[in-house]
Amino acid sequence: MDDRKFAIFATMCTALLVPAPRELAAQLVSGRFEAGQYTVSDGVLPMSAMRFAPTFQFDFPHVRLTAHGAALLSEQNLQIADGIVSGTFTSPTVYGVRAEMIGNASRAVDQRSLGSDQVDVQTRIHVPFRQAGGMWFGGGVAKPWRVAVISSADVLDGGVWGRLGDAAAKFGIATLTATFTNFSFSKVASVQDSNSVLSCGVAAATNLPASAALADDTGGGTCERQSRFSDLEAVLQWEVGPLELSAQSGYRLGDSYDVTPDTRQWTSGRATIWLNERIAIIGGGGRQPALPLRGLPARNFGMAGLVIAYSPVSKSTVPVSMPHAVLVKKFEMQPGTGDMRKIVIRVGGVERVDVMGDFSDWSPLTLVRRGRDLWELNVPVSPGVHHINVRVDGGPWMAPPGVPTMHDPYSGDVGLIVIPR
Amino acid sequence: MTRFFASLRRAPRGFASLAAGALLLLGALPAAGQDPFSRLDPTSRNIIDVVMDSALVAGLPNRSILSRALEGIAKKADNRRIVDAVRRRLVSLRTARAMLGPIGDDELEAAASVLEAGARPEQLERFRRRTTGRNDLEAFTVWADFLARGIPKDEAFSAINKLWQDGADDAIFHSLWNNVQSDILQGLSPGMALQNRIREAPTRPPTSAGKPPEGS
Repeated sequence: MDDRKFAIFATMCTALLVPAPRELAAQLVSGRFEAGQYTVSDGVLPMSAMRFAPTFQFDFPHVRLTAHGAALLSEQNLQIADGIVSGTFTSPTVYGVRAEMIGNASRAVDQRSLGSDQVDVQTRIHVPFRQAGGMWFGGGVAKPWRVAVISSADVLDGGVWGRLGDAAAKFGIATLTATFTNFSFSKVASVQDSNSVLSCGVAAATNLPASAALADDTGGGTCERQSRFSDLEAVLQWEVGPLELSAQSGYRLGDSYDVTPDTRQWTSGRATIWLNERIAIIGGGGRQPALPLRGLPARNFGMAGLVIAYSPVSKSTVPVSMPHAVLVKKFEMQPGTGDMRKIVIRVGGVERVDVMGDFSDWSPLTLVRRGRDLWELNVPVSPGVHHINVRVDGGPWMAPPGVPTMHDPYSGDVGLIVIPR
Repeated sequence: MTRFFASLRRAPRGFASLAAGALLLLGALPAAGQDPFSRLDPTSRNIIDVVMDSALVAGLPNRSILSRALEGIAKKADNRRIVDAVRRRLVSLRTARAMLGPIGDDELEAAASVLEAGARPEQLERFRRRTTGRNDLEAFTVWADFLARGIPKDEAFSAINKLWQDGADDAIFHSLWNNVQSDILQGLSPGMALQNRIREAPTRPPTSAGKPPEGS
């Protein structure tokens, strides 16, 4: 990595820690920065390096923009760098169903190869069940570049998720997610390229399964074969107090031409211990699957490091935006200047918190994430009795804890707040 | 089987187009109504207008009626329920005014909430005679909460009335609420929790204690 690129990367990381724009962009920005020792072995070259991984996230009511990067630096040389920019548009929930459109653009740079670029677009339909579980399904297209042997790929995915417990429970929240993702694409390879994924020679053809469609092009220089494999993956995430644990395990289905033995199954784990609202220790390790579309091999890894959270971007195990069945741990309305009041809510493991009440003419107001589980918002509230509701991640409106409540006329509950004169 | 896989492979693009269309349609739905009342049918809107006018004529805070309607719209209640809630609010406000006489809008709204929570009008009337400047918002709020938690109406009234007559301030009412809801969360029955806590609730010394002797 030359000095200029390193300076740009370092500047981006440092910018995360500058609090100046916080008030200006507080409604939208969250970010975190991970740094630590990373050991990786992908069968080519075992490597131990420093890993830097910044993440930015902008949240609008129905749009989320995320930028994530990771770089492995060893002796001031870039070994592997990976960056992805994502945008997700989420529709309002209609008849219990919500839809998402997702676009990703990514670039991977590997000192030992050309690296790869990829653009993909996906749509998903998500059906939550009582905010404690749900299922989704969807599909899309991924277009890789610089991975010479692979054309665009069709992707089908679906999954189910379920959640046990809540943020206030003694044993915290546990979320189990199971996903199925099917990839199908064409591999294009040179007939003479014996090192490519596929050779079109007679020897290779005799070993091909019946489902393989082999076609020599008119020039006789390349051949094309339809490939398909599917990933079955289960992810368990458990949050209890300041501890976050996650484990994932997966199995790749497909014939031996599409799935090599060393990438057939994988398991990894990760632990995060939050020392306070902004700093956490992380550690983990395991095996990551190969990403053929991006030309990335399977690898073993181990890591230990530090997270500095500008405002933590939660690592959701469920790859769809979803309402959570959680209890708000704490609610306060603190006095401010004049009629202004600061609403302070503590709730972990969620990505969005809204309030509404007579003081907002019952229009939802989104709180700003100020820490791992801390959400705040300044609103004008006049003296008197006010009715208020809270919701997390677009779930049902509920009365906040720690204040008197009563039933509203619409089969729900509402909190009552007295603001003295 | 081969055809199945072939169709499976073709599906994503078709599915993506279909889902994208559905997504755009879903996204366009909420843009239709910037005015929250546009979600209501004309008849319901007219009824709400009439109810608000009635409140205005009667000198009642019609913002409370408006708020009730907006709450229903925000919570996606159907038209009938919104109209019922708005009508009920008007009746509660009228009754509270009749029971308590001329009081501030905030207290009137809090008292109306107590009635809607299940208190009887004659119970509310006991709070009619009040010290000038005294604020009953906290007392009414705690009362409404007790009723919502299932504490028997007479026991809730009796406890609130006792504290009120003893001159309890907001802090005492809030402390009582805090203790009772804590006991309920730990498994005590609502009525029992209140009975236990009301016995130990402190009362403010009578205000006459510091009053100079008559004739001085």
